[in-house]
Amino acid sequence: MKRWLTLMVALILAALVVPIGAGAQGKDTLTVALASNATTLDPHMHFERAGILVNINMFDSLLHRSAKLEFEPSLALSWKALNDTTWEFKLRRGVKFHDGSTMTAEDVKFSFDRVLEPGSEKKKSPQYGNVRAIKEVKIVDADTIQLATDKPFPLLLERLVFFPIVPKKHVEKVGEEAFGSTATVGTGPWKLVEWKRDQHIRLEAFDQHWRGRPAFKYVVFRAIPEVATSVAELKTGGVDIIRNVNADLLPDLKSHPQTRISTTPILRVHYMSLDMRSAPFDKKAARQAANYAIDKQSMIQKMMAGLGKQVATVVQPPAFGFDPSVPPYPYDPKKAKELLAQAGYPNGVDITMHSAFVDFRPHFEALGQMLTEVGLRTTVKMWDPGPAWNKYFQAEGKATNGQYGSWGNYSVFDADAVLHPLYHTEPGGWIGKHYARVEGLDKLIDEGRSSVDPAKRKRIYAEIQRMIREEAPSVFLWTQNDTLGISRKVAYEARPDEWLWLFAAKPAS
Amino acid sequence: MSAFLIRRLLRFVVVCLGVSLVTFSILHASGDPVALIMPEAAEADRAKLREALGLSDPLSTQFVRFVGNAARGDFGRSFFHREPAFRLVVERMPTTLALTCLAVALALAVAVPVGIYSAVFRNTVGDHAATVVVFLGQSMPVFWIGIMLMLLFAVQWRLLPVSGWGTWSSMVLPAVTLGAFTTPLFMRIIRSSMLEVINLDYVRTARAKGLSEWLVICRHALRNAALPIVTVIGLQFGLLLGGAVLTESVFAVPGVGRLIVGAIRQLDFPIVQAGVFLLAMIIVSVNLFVDVLYVYLNPTVRLR
Amino acid sequence: MAVTLPRTAVAYEVALPGASGSRAWRRFALNPAALVGSLILLTMVSVAVAAPWVAPHDPAKQSLLRRFTPPVWQAGGNAAYPLGTDQVGRDVLSRIVHGARVSLLVGVAAVLVSLVVGVAAGLASGFLGGTVDTVIGTVVDVSLSFPQILLALAFVAALGPSLLTIIVVLGLTGWERYARVVRAEVMALREKEFVEAARAIGVGRPRIVVRHVLPNTMSSIVVMSTLQVAQAILAEAALSFLGVGSGNAYPTWGQMISLGRDFVTVAWWLATLPGLAILLTVLAINLVGDRLRDALDPRTT
Repeated sequence: MKRWLTLMVALILAALVVPIGAGAQGKDTLTVALASNATTLDPHMHFERAGILVNINMFDSLLHRSAKLEFEPSLALSWKALNDTTWEFKLRRGVKFHDGSTMTAEDVKFSFDRVLEPGSEKKKSPQYGNVRAIKEVKIVDADTIQLATDKPFPLLLERLVFFPIVPKKHVEKVGEEAFGSTATVGTGPWKLVEWKRDQHIRLEAFDQHWRGRPAFKYVVFRAIPEVATSVAELKTGGVDIIRNVNADLLPDLKSHPQTRISTTPILRVHYMSLDMRSAPFDKKAARQAANYAIDKQSMIQKMMAGLGKQVATVVQPPAFGFDPSVPPYPYDPKKAKELLAQAGYPNGVDITMHSAFVDFRPHFEALGQMLTEVGLRTTVKMWDPGPAWNKYFQAEGKATNGQYGSWGNYSVFDADAVLHPLYHTEPGGWIGKHYARVEGLDKLIDEGRSSVDPAKRKRIYAEIQRMIREEAPSVFLWTQNDTLGISRKVAYEARPDEWLWLFAAKPAS
Repeated sequence: MSAFLIRRLLRFVVVCLGVSLVTFSILHASGDPVALIMPEAAEADRAKLREALGLSDPLSTQFVRFVGNAARGDFGRSFFHREPAFRLVVERMPTTLALTCLAVALALAVAVPVGIYSAVFRNTVGDHAATVVVFLGQSMPVFWIGIMLMLLFAVQWRLLPVSGWGTWSSMVLPAVTLGAFTTPLFMRIIRSSMLEVINLDYVRTARAKGLSEWLVICRHALRNAALPIVTVIGLQFGLLLGGAVLTESVFAVPGVGRLIVGAIRQLDFPIVQAGVFLLAMIIVSVNLFVDVLYVYLNPTVRLR
Repeated sequence: MAVTLPRTAVAYEVALPGASGSRAWRRFALNPAALVGSLILLTMVSVAVAAPWVAPHDPAKQSLLRRFTPPVWQAGGNAAYPLGTDQVGRDVLSRIVHGARVSLLVGVAAVLVSLVVGVAAGLASGFLGGTVDTVIGTVVDVSLSFPQILLALAFVAALGPSLLTIIVVLGLTGWERYARVVRAEVMALREKEFVEAARAIGVGRPRIVVRHVLPNTMSSIVVMSTLQVAQAILAEAALSFLGVGSGNAYPTWGQMISLGRDFVTVAWWLATLPGLAILLTVLAINLVGDRLRDALDPRTT
């Protein structure tokens, strides 16, 4: 027993005496906190933001997007449309993979084929839906490939900005499992050193990267699920960048001697989708009443530190097809009450709304209160993503009267990327197939996505925006900023596409 | 002795089967797992997946297969990680066990002296004060202690790293957090087994012979407290591992608990099953070990 | 249950021989720790019962204009909101007061579920013996083999979070100790002559249970229950922290901590004050339970 005690005391002393400062990193290391690690490093086998943010720093796609949202050459030096359904890409020569091999047209074709899996009925890759329009990938010569789509596909270039090219020989040699965990190889600025699951992903600069060497020799992505923990890490220098900083924490991080913030409007729109199939939101007047009930400006000012803009519909200013002439609903509780009475609810009505949007729970509660004040007496139900959330889908969304959420357009700057998932009623759409029942809308959305004539598409989207403004299938809210908390030792700014393109990061002078 | 061992092993096997049954039923508890995994898919696709996962066989067949596979450590591949679920769980097990053991060690280091003090000076102000202070640890939500300790020691005073795992210093706060929650259990046992021993004849004799009181206590009394403590560690191991889950989340410790919690949210059944099964097996084995050890160390125990 | 557990461990976990009632009570009442615990507990219960009258505001009433008002003793505090307001401007004091209701309700109701299931299982096991005993014994062993919080998390997540789910799930993961105590008592009684005599003259089992088993196990059940209530309150908080609390129709302390924890650096009171409420309540329950055990245990005289 005594020896036990001695051992114990020794252990504890050892723990206390060992020099501290594990969080401290050298100047050549950039540490980023993410809420979770990806489930795989294979860039084609997931569709999670946490995974994409890591992948983009290890891989290149055919195209890159600048911080100003312009397409830039990456693995493709140039591209052009040969006709409505065929695009040609000239590949960059002499690009090296992390294993030393040179990228070829074969690798490009292989990358597409492993997602498209021509001939196979069940598709492994969750990204299949993004590129399913691509029918064929043809190698013209060593430096040229052609992509053929089944019908005109205006979003092709957008989709290629995150479509990493992987090394064919290497993947076939090590197998998919190892490729996604220990033997991940790309052409990007950093290569994989080690991935300790739920702990960190450690990358090291790749000497032969075609852009040259990045400013930081090492990049570490740490998995920190707790907001309070990641904020504490940022303040104490354990990490250099944290994402999705809550507006209420801004003053704290701004005034702290070690930290600053960087914020930029992003392509993410908040909305409350209303179930148009059942009372009370089967009535247009009730849906409009909900729109008049929300004091968007107050919420943006008071709850989002002013970092947001109210929107007229779900189509946002930077997206292709946005029509600035459509005015947002003003805050008018009196009008809301009148409309509600018109809809047949002079004494108000009880409704339930739900959300799985954990980060914005206070906003959801405030929205519920505002609806309640005009007579749409709202019970707010917060659903954690997971089993309960899936049950909602099984019930075809009938569990409640509507849903508060946000849509990030997959970072695709086009009206279609938000209109189709939210309002198209075809199977395979997202929430629209449950909720939206606006006559003629499906047809317009289809027309918009199958034309490559920008003028015609613009006209169609303008019509759609006026239509949904009037029909109000959703309560239209605001756009959101992406806000990073950054160590004062690091020079880096938030990007409008929510990417963390760390090649642009430098030690602050 | 050997008859006891055989009976005990038999019970072990039966309990293992029971554990398998509960683990097996997790998959079916929420209704149709395939509908949960692919909520948006067409019925034909679901049927295919059901076939592939063997979910269309009779439940009894499925269970037998599950037990057979589980015995070989095969719980299928994680739906999201695309790797064998068992391997993912086993990878993280050392971290969780290290955290738990460290916490137990810390808890003992506090509980032994405080428990002894509290028994020797029973019903004094010191006893009450010690009790209250130690009880504080068991009266706070584990995650709340964690957040508070982090704010004080890591953010305010900069003494320790905020989170993470790997260096000794990074293990201190998680271990203290989990230990704070365990200490009162041990302290109570030590206190009451001390009370039991303190008036026994041989302790009195030893005291009379002039040895210092402290030594007497160490030699005779603590030896008697050791077995019950071991037993309670066995009995409370489940609670400890539960506390470890929360601690892991707060301090971003890459352990099994965090893995399982994440898997429950993602409906990653293979991981949930492998994780819960392995944790339960550890608890069952710890208890088996404790029982056998107990009988081995103390042959006077009456066996029924 | 094949092995007799070491005596002290059993004393901790399970059996408590009954001490004479009035002496035990005197010992308990004279203990300062027990006294303080009882007082705190009494206060909490009264507050919970009288919540609508005690709370200064409607706990659900929001205001964007007074978000994050600090407690009254800090700069910027407002006497109308003595403990400050939360992220949507609700009064923290009123929420804590109303939270007392739900937290205590969850604790007590979950333990009642455990109690009913556990006592029934213990009686069945003890009286029927044989196969029933073996089966129940195995079920007890199996259910003690899981980390409670993970099992509860898995089931609450599957069934959807609600107050009722939480109560039932927590109740069904804490009944094993009751079953063990009651079974042990029945076993002991069965060997006693007077029970056999009673049965010989036609006294039915229900009466034996009411007359002998329950009174003899009462003291252990009371002690266990106090500690179980404490555990259930903490477990509810833990589930809220892990994201499957009791829904958001009612404020619970666990939920308040869970929602306030992201703001802990800018509004410390959001997570800290409900945490203190849990701390006080659970500490009081633990003290009362511990001293009850001491008082009822004749060995520690």
